Amino acid sequence: MKRRAFLGLTGATLAVTAAAAGAFAGWTLSDNGAQPLLLSARNDAAGKHFAVGYRLDGSQAFATQVSERCHDVVPHPCLPLALFVGRRPSPQSYLIDTRDGRLLQTLHTPAQRHFFGHAVFHKDGEWLYTTENDTSDPGRGVIGVYRLQALQLQRTGELSSHGLGPHQLLWLADGETLVVANGGIRTEADSRVEMNLDTMESSLVLLQRDGTLLSKEQLPERKNSVRHLAVASDGTVVSGQQYMGDPGDAAPLLAIKRPGQAFQPFPLAEAQRLEMNQYTASLAINNELRLLALTAPRGNRVFIWDLDSAELRLDAALPDCAGVGAVPEGFVVSAGIGRCRHYDCRGERILTQPLQLPAGLWDNHLRLT
Amino acid sequence: MIRSPLTLALLSLALAACSPADPQQGVSSALANGVLLPAYGSWSEANSQLASSGRAFCADQQTLSEARQAFLTAQSAWASLQPLLIGPLAEGNRAWQVQFWPDKKNLVARQVEALLKNKPKLTPADLDKSSVVVQGLTAYEYLMYDSAIDLGNAEQKARYCPLLVAIGQHQQALAADVLDRWQAEDGMAAQLHGFPNERYAEPAEAVAELLRTQVNAIDGLKKKLGTPLGRQSKGQPQPYQAEAWRSKASLANLAAGLASAERIWRGAEQDGVQALLSADQSPLQQRIDAAYSDTRQRLAALQRPLGELLADPAGRSELNALYDSLNALHRLHETELAKALGIQMGFNSHDGD
Repeated sequence: MKRRAFLGLTGATLAVTAAAAGAFAGWTLSDNGAQPLLLSARNDAAGKHFAVGYRLDGSQAFATQVSERCHDVVPHPCLPLALFVGRRPSPQSYLIDTRDGRLLQTLHTPAQRHFFGHAVFHKDGEWLYTTENDTSDPGRGVIGVYRLQALQLQRTGELSSHGLGPHQLLWLADGETLVVANGGIRTEADSRVEMNLDTMESSLVLLQRDGTLLSKEQLPERKNSVRHLAVASDGTVVSGQQYMGDPGDAAPLLAIKRPGQAFQPFPLAEAQRLEMNQYTASLAINNELRLLALTAPRGNRVFIWDLDSAELRLDAALPDCAGVGAVPEGFVVSAGIGRCRHYDCRGERILTQPLQLPAGLWDNHLRLT
Repeated sequence: MIRSPLTLALLSLALAACSPADPQQGVSSALANGVLLPAYGSWSEANSQLASSGRAFCADQQTLSEARQAFLTAQSAWASLQPLLIGPLAEGNRAWQVQFWPDKKNLVARQVEALLKNKPKLTPADLDKSSVVVQGLTAYEYLMYDSAIDLGNAEQKARYCPLLVAIGQHQQALAADVLDRWQAEDGMAAQLHGFPNERYAEPAEAVAELLRTQVNAIDGLKKKLGTPLGRQSKGQPQPYQAEAWRSKASLANLAAGLASAERIWRGAEQDGVQALLSADQSPLQQRIDAAYSDTRQRLAALQRPLGELLADPAGRSELNALYDSLNALHRLHETELAKALGIQMGFNSHDGD
């Protein structure tokens, strides 16, 4: 893995840079063995919220009850901890020890800010960036900047997202440039209600860690909200949209920005676009196989395409499909109802198998570490 | 990306032990054989009849009244499928090809006229390439019943017949294709019998989808009644927003949909979803039985078409009582039955994130 190489890790011993030493004092990297750990927010049948970690064989690493529902999970690049990010409009996120599920910190946004559900750790492991709402100017996009010190995240400042209602953000391949999906929708504190459907302004923004804007691009349809992202190892960015206009409109629900090229619609066949019901959820890219996977929970479909040729590889039913993540064989997909699935994409025909993880109630995103 | 090899513990071995004694598998199997397959078979048969009726009518070998009857049979078969809309017909944009509803802007009339203006000698191949708005029963109904069209007039009949024949053919082909997808070796029916399969990891997933589809359809029946009643428009009746208003079959369609929903509950031989309730849940079973009975009787008691009932206060009051009854039936399923069976109705799909 890149991050191991970066930190010069060997086995379970952690060697850290001087800058990060304070943050990591007293910690050793846990050896996960062969089984990746799947991290996700999940509910129980009674509606209580949990931050969970499971091995793909179904064994539970932890399930920690948290007070608010979470959305994405951000694993730390080298320490066994992860931030479970509050689902909008939550002002809370939870820093969890992924070895035993211990809650290390409940992270609060400052006044007049709430989380939008996504964040990223910088590859050095010292800095965290989140998407947030400035509720004093509802919808104004903010990138919260936090520093990890002594296993606690401290807010040190914020950047502009250069747009409205930022949702997911990720790193480009250099690990230094942020790509931000500004969904374009204004919402107020404690609210999920859209305030500006007629004046939406969604964009895909690239910016440096110091906040310098590198580019800002838009899709032509005003009501097409850029929400979720995946970035390939060559820097190709794919975005998934949620279209807020008429159900009959033909808006591009997937878009792509190949390195050095403009942000443009991904060549999506009409049959698949229609199946999505104007709504895409999570995206993932398998770099070895150069495949793109997408969940469309309103259409109850999972799709896989060849990232380079845009050839459709899979269009399968999976009710209320949710998170998706890459594994060496292909992808793992979770679902709000029913069992999680494993898609083996190495052969000509994609093989689908259910996983022995608890069925249903998985939230929108999953991460594999 | 994880590079390390991953050993998956898959469910297949554990599930291979599932015997037919598994109650969920029993219900899924019984509903596939006893309710779903027969309904899809009837629908396909009704569409064959529709296609031949269209051809016969246009060759002056059938009366308009006979042609309308063939249409009503096909429309009723389609209405019966609403609570059974899982698998192929629910996917790939196929359902839109059968019916275009709601049609708030009267697109059916506009697009039919535009299509025939552009292609006076319309062929079935032309129709296959056209919008779903003109491919289905809603357009057929427009041709058969709209007051602006007089199929007794030879000139008009000649104008509209190519479309009539093409729609019949399109529906017949669509229904035959869907039925094939149900009956194929690894088709939809097989996926409701043997687990795990490409679609379902275990019988519980199949039963959950059957129930969700049925409950969504009951909700759909509420919309089909509530929309013309003006429940979404400040109480102002909207008779032209009703499903099948031209053929005055709105209430007949509701009854067909309700009957199918009840068949998912009861099964062909008392082996439907109700069979999953335990003895100590029999009070709930009785309440659901009673709710079906109440809705069914209220619907059967309506003596006039929907349009007429909407036009006077007494009629609207009967319709509102029917709506409340449907609503009670819907809630019993959505909350109490789903909870009793441990079935999740939805989680992320309306999340908006």
